[in-house]
Amino acid sequence: MVNLDVAGMSTMDVNAKLRDLIQDNDEIVVENPLSVHNFATALKGQGRITVKGSTGFYTAGFLQGPTIVVEGSTGLYTADNMGAGELIVNKNTGSNCAPSLVGGNVVIRGNSGSRAGWGMKGGNLIVCGDVGMWAGKMSLDGRIILLGKVGNGIGESMYNGVIHVLDPAVEDKLGGNVKVVPIDDKEKKEVEALFKKYDIDCGVDDFRSIVPKVYGRHEYLLFKPTHKQKGAN
Amino acid sequence: MSEEKEKKRTMPKDIQRGVYSAETIADIRIKAETGRHRIRGCGSTRKYPTMEDLLILPSQLSRLSVDTYREDCRTQTVLGSRYAKKPLIIETPIMISGMSYGALSKEAKIAMAKATDIVGTSICNGEGGLLPEERDNSYKQVVQITPSRIGFSLRNLEAADAIELIIGIGAKPGLAGHLMGSKITKEIGAFRQLPPGIDLHSHPRHGDIFGADDMLLKIKELRDVTNWEVPIFVKIAAGRVREDVKIAAKTGADGIVIDGAEGGTGAAPVVASSQLGIPTMPALVQAVRALEEMGLKQEISLIVSGGIKDGSDVAKALALGADAVAIGTGAMIAMGCTVCLKCQEGKCAFGIGTQDPELRKRLDIDVAALRVANYIQAMTYEAVVLAKAAGKSALANMEREDLRSLTLEACAMTGVPLIGTNYTFTEPFGYF
Repeated sequence: MVNLDVAGMSTMDVNAKLRDLIQDNDEIVVENPLSVHNFATALKGQGRITVKGSTGFYTAGFLQGPTIVVEGSTGLYTADNMGAGELIVNKNTGSNCAPSLVGGNVVIRGNSGSRAGWGMKGGNLIVCGDVGMWAGKMSLDGRIILLGKVGNGIGESMYNGVIHVLDPAVEDKLGGNVKVVPIDDKEKKEVEALFKKYDIDCGVDDFRSIVPKVYGRHEYLLFKPTHKQKGAN
Repeated sequence: MSEEKEKKRTMPKDIQRGVYSAETIADIRIKAETGRHRIRGCGSTRKYPTMEDLLILPSQLSRLSVDTYREDCRTQTVLGSRYAKKPLIIETPIMISGMSYGALSKEAKIAMAKATDIVGTSICNGEGGLLPEERDNSYKQVVQITPSRIGFSLRNLEAADAIELIIGIGAKPGLAGHLMGSKITKEIGAFRQLPPGIDLHSHPRHGDIFGADDMLLKIKELRDVTNWEVPIFVKIAAGRVREDVKIAAKTGADGIVIDGAEGGTGAAPVVASSQLGIPTMPALVQAVRALEEMGLKQEISLIVSGGIKDGSDVAKALALGADAVAIGTGAMIAMGCTVCLKCQEGKCAFGIGTQDPELRKRLDIDVAALRVANYIQAMTYEAVVLAKAAGKSALANMEREDLRSLTLEACAMTGVPLIGTNYTFTEPFGYF
């Protein structure tokens, strides 16, 4: 195990240091992160990094392999384009968490902002707290698991993939081109395994899945007359 | 009335109907039938002011010309040396712009990649992932980061000689990639992680860039990924060029790509391609002015695309302040494209804009590659002929002082003096 104090270091130096250290060390403890941006960008290897504090924007972007545990919060665009590895955030994260995630697991133990799992292409995103609007927007593949309340427009324009939700009022908050279906047994087992791995105390029976309604073009939001709707004028 | 007179009589159908031309009538009928906006390939059909309205001054007594066939005129172009350790070095300032595998067939992409290896220039992969065969055959590979991030991963970045962060495209600024279901075959679907047969309408905003502040950090992140070696360009569709270019320059880009409204596309709403954005020539002038106002013209490479068709456009764009140009439709025409405006249907008879296995067989990769390479080489020759006649020993030495405007319109737009008067009818562009 090795300690790394990053106070006062530029993002470039932090990343260069981490790349050096991860080659010989299984465990790195980062102290005084002071919300450093672009933390652990495109880091490769198999080690474990524990961050004693919070990190800023673009934490663990393009990550390829290591496990990162952030004991505080992370900023916007956490785990963007992450390819492999794990990111565990013990507190909250900003909006646009895990945009275009390619692979690996992202676990947020607190809340996340809007557009969590935007354009995901694989991997797993677990948010234990609440999420804002448009979770899973335009995702191409992968799995999002949301344990708390969800915002409006969930799953807007999903092409593929699945969102597992616990929120009972999810029907009122669906985005375009998605529907709610019961969770099947195979999915239950996979979710259970993930919960066990990350020590999340939650049953899987109450989950429901959000999947694309049709695998094709859905209605456009270009012009929507409302005068014939119930209660108009 | 005799039969002859009957023939000469003007029939109501022959009378010009002002707004309601034959085209407009056909357009209204199609819309009345479908209830939707029209989607079409190849970009705008509108007449724009082009660089044909500029002329190049030859050297006579006031300066001496360079021998066209016996003396050297350098064409090697270095792009993106602002921060990148390994700038993009290409042999001619004519690049091939981003056209996706999906909009184009695999054969067409490989042919273009091979063409870049013959003439020593770069190719850009476009939206939807980097085709391994394209990378293997290309001389220099530019990799696009499109807002939708379809097919994008770290592997693409590691294969890149330059990165192009897309903010907009000239043919449909403010919109993003349209790929119609006719082209999303099983193969393309698997490549882009899309269900086959759907109409893809990509997202126009980056999921991880919500403004200039974020972009600054994002570009730093990309530099960390590539170890500060690879140049990063920002591609902007021509709109509020002055403001956009200044923001892009502030965010730390190595180069800026300006895509004018003449730019082509695989599919776009007709209104978007014909009504949105401004043409290449005025956009380029505005971009150069913006960079000069910031004092960064020497540092930041400016690449211009949209409607570049021959060597004179290249020489004039370089004279106006661009460092390189990018061609797209021109390269396709060199392969056999007839600009039939039907790219969106995916039934290209020449095997270029299609995914049909039978139609794709019609494109001979090696012949097409040679034709594209020949076209780029001929364009470079043309540009060099003009530059030498203007007395330059390097294509990059073309300057604004070598130009004159042929029309009042071009003079007002570019600030280049009108022929015969040496007078500028608006704000002069630089020093004359």
